[in-house]
Amino acid sequence: MNDLQEIWVYLSGLPLFSLVLTLLAYEIGLRLHLWSGRQPLVNPVAIAILIVLAVLVVAEMPYEVYFEGAQFIHFLLGTATVALAVPIAQGWPLLKGRIPVLLLAMLAGGTVSIASASILGLLLGLPDALLLPLVAKSVTAPIAMGIVDGTGISPTLTAIYAVLTGILGAISVRYLLDAIGMRNWADRGFALGIAAHGIGTSRAFSVHPDAGAFASIAMGLHGIAGAILIPPLLPWLRGLLV
Amino acid sequence: MIRGLLILMLFQGLGELISTGFALSIPGPVIGMVCLLAVLLVKKEVNPDLATVSAAFSQHLGLLFVPAAVGVVSFLPVLNTYGWAVALILLISVAITITVTALVLRLLP
Repeated sequence: MNDLQEIWVYLSGLPLFSLVLTLLAYEIGLRLHLWSGRQPLVNPVAIAILIVLAVLVVAEMPYEVYFEGAQFIHFLLGTATVALAVPIAQGWPLLKGRIPVLLLAMLAGGTVSIASASILGLLLGLPDALLLPLVAKSVTAPIAMGIVDGTGISPTLTAIYAVLTGILGAISVRYLLDAIGMRNWADRGFALGIAAHGIGTSRAFSVHPDAGAFASIAMGLHGIAGAILIPPLLPWLRGLLV
Repeated sequence: MIRGLLILMLFQGLGELISTGFALSIPGPVIGMVCLLAVLLVKKEVNPDLATVSAAFSQHLGLLFVPAAVGVVSFLPVLNTYGWAVALILLISVAITITVTALVLRLLP
């Protein structure tokens, strides 16, 4: 028994433990997602987060110790952000003369996203720590976390909000766009990519390739716009909200 | 695969240099992304190796924010009280965002 305990102490101190745990949890999430027929509600990231949380609680492992090892995965967020340039470049010919309209739709969507979430947060009396991460929730998580870096806003909640937004957007999009009678796959994808970034984009790809291509372009452009426009507006927004 | 990863990390480094060098509020990786996009649009083609690595990243973007998101443990007490409010806000807000974006696309030519 003592031997087992020693082995556990040794293993749980290695970065390998956190890395294997994270990858395994995500793999289980992916399997369940595929098994469900790619239901947005059965989201691989949400499942992975819940599994890792459960293991940390059962193993009584502090979050800091877990993150020490998992930071190698965390580091790649920046690299993945750079990679978002590729789908935009590949889809560029599809945009043809529509760039001004698409940019306008993006600005409208982005503004409404921040405004609606902030106003609702104020109305429902959210504490500041929960309210401020709302400003970046429609920007893809890797970029949103970069935007809040060094501002005192929690990157953790920013990521959690982004995941939830993606799931909720992917579930509700069909009903919303059917209700306003929008049938064009490209435009449907673009609207979903603006509002629900990565998770919305993978949903869009599973419905139609045009929707997916436009969703990933929308996600990338919204990420760039958010990274340029949100940081200078942040002090002002903070003044309004807090 | 290595070549694609190398290209991405070089642009990431370039972005970090520009971001810190000019003390910009834009995150370094985003600047790297814009630089890479500019190069790709000028070249009008994407290196197949770069395309493969980027597709893998896009497909499993979610994996990369699991470590940060697990930090939610420290927010569980406050989310116990406000969790439903947060979920409601996110649902309404994402619905409005989708609808407004789509309406702009529909109303403009």
